[in-house]
Amino acid sequence: MAHSAQPASDGLFENLRLELRRGCLVLAVMAALRTEQYGYTLRKVLAEHGMAIDEGTLYPLLRRLESQGLLTSQWREEDKRNKRFYRLSPEGKLILKQLLEEWRGIDASLKDILP
Amino acid sequence: MDLLDRYVHAVRFWLPRGQQDDITAELAEDLRSQIEEQEAKLGRKLTELEVASLLKGRGRPVFVAGRYRPQQYLIGPTLFPIYRFVLFIVALCYLLPWMLVWVSLEIFDPFYHSHVLTAMGQAWGSFWITTIVAVGIVTIVFAIIERIDYEKKFMENWDPRKLPPVRDPNRIPRFNSVFELAANGVFAVWWLNWMSSLTLLDRGGVRIVLAPAWHPYYWAMLAVALANIALAAVNLAHRYWTWRRGILRLILEIAGAIPICWLFKANILAQIVLPNLSAARATGLVNSINLNMARSFPYAVACCAIVIVLSNTFRLIRLRTKRTGIMQGAAV
Repeated sequence: MAHSAQPASDGLFENLRLELRRGCLVLAVMAALRTEQYGYTLRKVLAEHGMAIDEGTLYPLLRRLESQGLLTSQWREEDKRNKRFYRLSPEGKLILKQLLEEWRGIDASLKDILP
Repeated sequence: MDLLDRYVHAVRFWLPRGQQDDITAELAEDLRSQIEEQEAKLGRKLTELEVASLLKGRGRPVFVAGRYRPQQYLIGPTLFPIYRFVLFIVALCYLLPWMLVWVSLEIFDPFYHSHVLTAMGQAWGSFWITTIVAVGIVTIVFAIIERIDYEKKFMENWDPRKLPPVRDPNRIPRFNSVFELAANGVFAVWWLNWMSSLTLLDRGGVRIVLAPAWHPYYWAMLAVALANIALAAVNLAHRYWTWRRGILRLILEIAGAIPICWLFKANILAQIVLPNLSAARATGLVNSINLNMARSFPYAVACCAIVIVLSNTFRLIRLRTKRTGIMQGAAV
């Protein structure tokens, strides 16, 4: 893997890796929220699928997606504690479908370009 | 949970007003979930040190809260390169000359010689005030431009045909050489015809006479003018600077500046005769003119000379380091 090639390039690789993942995280969060979840469990689900995201990124992202009308949220009591549950809105489902098509297109293009 | 409450409260302080309750409730819930999960794993309550470590991992409250705010900046990424360029121009055209004037005063003015520490203190203080005011004004102007939504107009209203031409800094424009030839030629003719005698004017009862110290200055300036004519003629034929011609230009600039500085300090005016002016008052006038010339003009000339010499030195460095450097004008 290029990651372990040279220590000097580790910082650069890390920046590029984060940049690459940033766009994918939106897709991953939206896809995971086809099922209703609250923040903490969403983070765990994403981590289990290899898309770990820190809470400082996740919660502002959830707010942004909600303000854009792609998510809906609801405060509800569970295990005697108030938790905020998120799920994909109808508009979010539509956008997710379009984004997944775009993603598959990018994936196919990359497979063509890469040996 | 005291630490957790304190942390959440600190985050709350930096959050947007309308969202404070909502965000802190969610943050507190997320932290409690994480703490509970760790406690379940360990089979005991977390110690205060462990909770502190967990909170530290989340980051400083101001940083955590900042991620909930939209990105804010005084001068955005589009305008920032122009802002930096304008600051550079301000430093070059305002602060640098200011420093050069001060250095000249240090060198030439007797007051500055005798009160070095006071003068340095005053100069240091006013330099920072000047710098802060200059940078502050530029920053405020750019911040205003940023906020009046100028960016959209700026990005759309431009024409590729109006971009400045690509230029080679080592190439000598034909116009410059022709202008130098003409200007130095006119100067030399005027100098030979009008400035060769110590009596500059003797007409209608008005008489202006220079001191004998004028003669060496006269010949020095004539020699510089003739050398400049020769250099301009060569430059017209060979339109790229070479190392030798660059040095010659530098020498001529220095050779022109030194006699001028010296002249103003040499009490060059010997006599003025005006109708209805007594001899005593005429002498007083001569002394006053000589004194004022000696006080102020050499500094102005020295400042101009320093700027010109620096520009010539930069050209020599460019030639020496073989930076052919085809440069693009500052186009925005």
